[in-house]
Amino acid sequence: MSVYAWLYHTLHVSWVLQAALLAIAILVGLSAAVRHRLAAPDGGLLPDEGITLRNMIEVVVEGLANLGRQTIGHDYRKFFPLVGAIFFFVLISNLLGLVPGVGGASSDINTGLAWAIIVFCVYHYAGIRRKGWHYIDHFMGPPMFDRQIFGKTYHVRALAPLLLPIELVLDASRVATLSIRLLANMFADHTVVAIWYGLVPIVLPAVFMGLGLVISFIQAFVFSLLSMIYIGLAIEDSH
Amino acid sequence: MRNFGKLLVFTLVATLLPLAAFAQEAGAHGGSASNWGAALGAGLAFGLAGLGCGLGQGLTAGNTTAGIARNPGAAGALNTPFILGMALIESIALVGFVTAFLLIGKV
Repeated sequence: MSVYAWLYHTLHVSWVLQAALLAIAILVGLSAAVRHRLAAPDGGLLPDEGITLRNMIEVVVEGLANLGRQTIGHDYRKFFPLVGAIFFFVLISNLLGLVPGVGGASSDINTGLAWAIIVFCVYHYAGIRRKGWHYIDHFMGPPMFDRQIFGKTYHVRALAPLLLPIELVLDASRVATLSIRLLANMFADHTVVAIWYGLVPIVLPAVFMGLGLVISFIQAFVFSLLSMIYIGLAIEDSH
Repeated sequence: MRNFGKLLVFTLVATLLPLAAFAQEAGAHGGSASNWGAALGAGLAFGLAGLGCGLGQGLTAGNTTAGIARNPGAAGALNTPFILGMALIESIALVGFVTAFLLIGKV
């Protein structure tokens, strides 16, 4: 019995779509609440007292901004909306997946694949836009020697035939590992909770749901951190 | 070290030798798995993946703890590589887990 059953049976809306729309609705609601708080006449300058929604989200945003500055560099603000949106979307989807009657969008391979493909396109586009044709350079390995042809010095990357296929395959595998890591973590936790619920239905499944809570935070953090690292690697200047 | 080798060989032989005796009976009432290779593969998949993941994460946690013990001010800087390293190593074990489930479906 799930929350999505009614729409699924009447209008044949897939439950993944419903779960994703529910997560988006929650996210928009949270951001509207925080912006309303920040738009108050005294808002934004002093933090609130105690634990409020705005304080919690500010902690998260500040942590992500620090990480973004360390990994992406000095123009992290261009990519910060994408990374922040991915973090909160993944987090809310994971948490919804833990609730018994409700499913999360991250239990399906398609949402994870969509997020991973978006990150893939963004970091390649950012790298090509920053560096032009020289974006291919870092796939081809270090320059081994220099050769002068008609007075112009070329840095010859002699290991390119060896390294280029490997690097391209590794790059394509980033999409796969990003999505499969998220899916497999959520699938493993749901399976473990289901198995323990079949064995000892009284208290023990709650322990594994607590583990699932920790795992959902960690997986959201790792997804966004890896996105930031890939973007940073694509746009960094070579050393 | 030489004693450990002998102990290992003895343990393996003592564990696996009775299987030869059981094989006689097993042939009589037959296993119910129509594709025992998939079942064996599923067990090996997750077992070996878990072994590698355990070793890798143990090394990561040990080195991080040693780094913090050596320099307690580095705990903040070590936090992010620690979590990131654990999650990346974990993903390999989880690929083994998913492989095991896919193989169990083919039993």
